[in-house]
Amino acid sequence: MNKLRTLFHPIFVFIGVQIAWIGLMVIWVYWYFENNLKLEEFAEKLRPELFNNEFTWVILLEGSFLMLIILAGVYVIFVYWNKQARLNRLQSNFVSSVSHELKSPLASIQLYLETMKYQQVSTQEARDFVETMLTDTERLSGLIDNILQSSKADPKAMRLQFQPVDIGEFMKEVLTAYKRQFEERKCAVQLDLDGAGVLRVDKRALRMVFNNLIGNALRYSPVGAPLVIQVENVKKYCQIHFIDRGIGIEKKDQKKVFKKFYRAQNIDTQNIEGAGLGLFISREIIKNHKGRLDVESAGRGRGTRFTVSLPR
Amino acid sequence: MAKKKKILVVEDETHLAKGLMFNLEREGYDIVVVDNGVSALETLGGDHFDLVILDLMLPKLGGLEVARQIRAGNIRFPILMLSAKSTDKDRQVGLEAGADDYLTKPFHLPELLLRVKGILRRWEWYKQPALDQERFHFDSMWIDFSTGQALGQGGEFFLTTKEALVMKLLVGKKGEVVSREELLEKVWGYDPGTETRTVDNFVARLRKHFEKKPQKPEHILTVREKGYQFVADTPE
Repeated sequence: MNKLRTLFHPIFVFIGVQIAWIGLMVIWVYWYFENNLKLEEFAEKLRPELFNNEFTWVILLEGSFLMLIILAGVYVIFVYWNKQARLNRLQSNFVSSVSHELKSPLASIQLYLETMKYQQVSTQEARDFVETMLTDTERLSGLIDNILQSSKADPKAMRLQFQPVDIGEFMKEVLTAYKRQFEERKCAVQLDLDGAGVLRVDKRALRMVFNNLIGNALRYSPVGAPLVIQVENVKKYCQIHFIDRGIGIEKKDQKKVFKKFYRAQNIDTQNIEGAGLGLFISREIIKNHKGRLDVESAGRGRGTRFTVSLPR
Repeated sequence: MAKKKKILVVEDETHLAKGLMFNLEREGYDIVVVDNGVSALETLGGDHFDLVILDLMLPKLGGLEVARQIRAGNIRFPILMLSAKSTDKDRQVGLEAGADDYLTKPFHLPELLLRVKGILRRWEWYKQPALDQERFHFDSMWIDFSTGQALGQGGEFFLTTKEALVMKLLVGKKGEVVSREELLEKVWGYDPGTETRTVDNFVARLRKHFEKKPQKPEHILTVREKGYQFVADTPE
């Protein structure tokens, strides 16, 4: 049964169709040379005025040209169909991973609320639970922002409201919200803001980018791994580096991670939640700031460096 | 004072792990938390535990693989799976990998606590020696309740956890009638997803293993409107 399914795999069907067409074309050309000449001789005896040599070459070329057009047509249909099939697959993966990712913070919130309902908790414990729940709601709202942003028909038409922002102060503000998560993951953050200055950016959009990059660094690093955030000025750009010592990204995945819904599939990532949206959205946002978002990694297990370059 | 039951919580979501620990400790259990599959197996190997609460999405080694490895070493050890994967297929895969129970996130706290209690109670009951020896012989067959191995009509094989529990309950009360309700309560702990028909299906499977003619059972008998009865000796 599996063999049969492999046989009907789109690529095999496509190759089969191509072989069939080329075969037909070869047979047609062969037939043309073999039989048509004989027919021609026969017909020439009856109606010699019907044939002249130049005309037959036109027919051969026309036939070949038509065959080629059909080949090209099949190829185009195949390419688009394949693209669509890939999108459908990604979309269904996305729905399952996003629902999974939404459920985790939700489960945590429900657990703490029910704990407060059913158990006797002290004021201190209650405050701690509320803090935890607030962190979970932040996570939920970040994810929902990502989904909404990515579902916009044309991310290029993103409406950004640029305003002067002190990147150093802004980064500190963003990091405050992560204080608790850094503590829980025993993550030491080294902040190097030497090159930070005032840039014209959309605060809300940039916060999403920073949240995605910091969130990823936490998610894809083991407990206790540090995070370095560095701001420096390079020529006309202000570069913000996010350097983690996490699971890293293989060379082959380094370009693909920015694609919508794409998630690197390997043994390290298979049990880590993610919707495949964060980096896609972040790159779109940075592009709309006329900047760049790049990734560097020495490979699996060797950490990752994301660099946001924004024009000064 | 009775010794505290020890539970290993394998959960990489720190918030959830902390919440589970808080509640289970309040219920009087001794809790150890680990955040990945590899540590889970190491911790289980190094200490005595009564139950493991296992998340499926875990770094390093996934929950399903952890469950399979636990089952490979000890086919009776109680496992409660906790996962955001909620389709029937996910549930089935989890149970097949060796989970005794499967709870989907988000879950209700009282339900979780009840299920933990249920699994531990069944485990306690299963551990009690109901028989003089662990290997129970009848007709020309036998069942080893400590390993779950058995010799049936078709040769040696392994019973699943629930099959072993059903057989143990029936054999432990041999000659008496065991009601479907008692089987459900002891073996399934009244999982809301189970119906009394489930018991009938299990019995049908067990008859295939231990009866010469499953249609005309000689050992696992149906007592109309009451339940089931196990008879060791076949009538001459």
